[in-house]
Amino acid sequence: MRWIWIDKFVEFHSGQRAVAIKNVTLAEEHLHDHFPGFPVMPETLCIEAMAQTAGILVGEAKNFEEKVILAKIKKAAFFDYVKPGDTIKLEAKIESITDEAASTTGRISCDGKLVAEIDLMFSHIDKNLAGKEFPQENFVFTDTFKSLMRGAAFNS
Amino acid sequence: MVELMRFILIDRVISLEAGREIKTVKNVSLAEEYLADHFPVFPVLPGVLLLEGLVESASWLVRETENFAHSMILLEQARNVKYKSFLAPGGQIEYTVTAKTIEENVSSFAGFGSSNGEQIVEAKFALRHFNLADEDSGMAAVDAKIIENMKQRWKLLW
Amino acid sequence: MAMSRDEIFGEVQEVLVDALGVDDDEVTSGATLMGDLGAESIDFLDIVFRLEKAFGIKIPREELFPAESLMNNPEFVNNGKLTEIGLGELREKMPHTDLAGFENDPDINKLGDLFTVGAIVNYVEGKLNSA
Repeated sequence: MRWIWIDKFVEFHSGQRAVAIKNVTLAEEHLHDHFPGFPVMPETLCIEAMAQTAGILVGEAKNFEEKVILAKIKKAAFFDYVKPGDTIKLEAKIESITDEAASTTGRISCDGKLVAEIDLMFSHIDKNLAGKEFPQENFVFTDTFKSLMRGAAFNS
Repeated sequence: MVELMRFILIDRVISLEAGREIKTVKNVSLAEEYLADHFPVFPVLPGVLLLEGLVESASWLVRETENFAHSMILLEQARNVKYKSFLAPGGQIEYTVTAKTIEENVSSFAGFGSSNGEQIVEAKFALRHFNLADEDSGMAAVDAKIIENMKQRWKLLW
Repeated sequence: MAMSRDEIFGEVQEVLVDALGVDDDEVTSGATLMGDLGAESIDFLDIVFRLEKAFGIKIPREELFPAESLMNNPEFVNNGKLTEIGLGELREKMPHTDLAGFENDPDINKLGDLFTVGAIVNYVEGKLNSA
């Protein structure tokens, strides 16, 4: 199971908002456990998809120099479930951003219907978490994530 | 050839008080493929999978308490989910989930996870539980299959 | 923007209820953010962002919760207690807080007790009145 929960960016407004999409397909193994006979995308993985959309938006705002990690899920509310064959659209907006942290709001929709509202907080870990040890290099924004940016419709 | 990974984020139930509380554990191992991506050189269990562990623990508490009445148990809402520390391979996390209310189709919980005395995650969340047949009576057989599957899985955990 | 202290308190209460997942009645003027309401580092950042949005003000984090820089500076801390210089810094940075009790025993582990709901209300009131 790769840990990439979005497929591509369709809009990217640096420092402000981004829109990504994810296709949900029976080829994804975990769906067969959740649940056997009626696969739906686990809500926690929907949260991860939003965290990746919003996290890349926040990271790019600082030129991927900071290690940006999910620190708090302020609120995640689900109004519908998502099935194989669906394409979900994830829209994330930066609400606040400082040297230490960022706050984002987001919504997931499918075919125009609201699936979820997810508000997150990210921490720039070099500026926080004193006392915890981790490697120097930016292991968060790997080439895999950066490659999602290629082909996105960039607007500044 | 890619291995078949299972989407089960707890390993064992260590205590259960129907309608009230459940404690479970999960081992973290480098055998879990997604750790290679999260993160390279610094593998830690992804935060949303910590939440999933809490959600699964609560779901089992609901299933046991309502005697496997419903097939579908989904996360409806999560709030103030805080990640306090990292959980690395070789570690084990113990989840404690306490029910605030468990009604027929909705339930709410407070939960936390700790490892070696260190707090890793805490959350407040709500689940919804239903049968597909509630909307479409033709789906009753699918409900039955899911429930049977969950009962088998329960034998592995408790 | 002329808000009464009660109105400010009401907004601050709502911010803390949302940010910390506590009940209305737990958010009293004397309640401490860390001890009573369970706030942690990430929550402090969340609270600052929400207060900025709720009141339309800019809050440099160091102004509202100046603990970190004080605790890490050897000029300000000696043997786990704030020095006179450290206390002076604290008084200057937190004019919105009643420091009398803390000054009697300036144990840095007790710095967190200074961050009360009332102190936040004082701070916001000060910011709005000087705007």
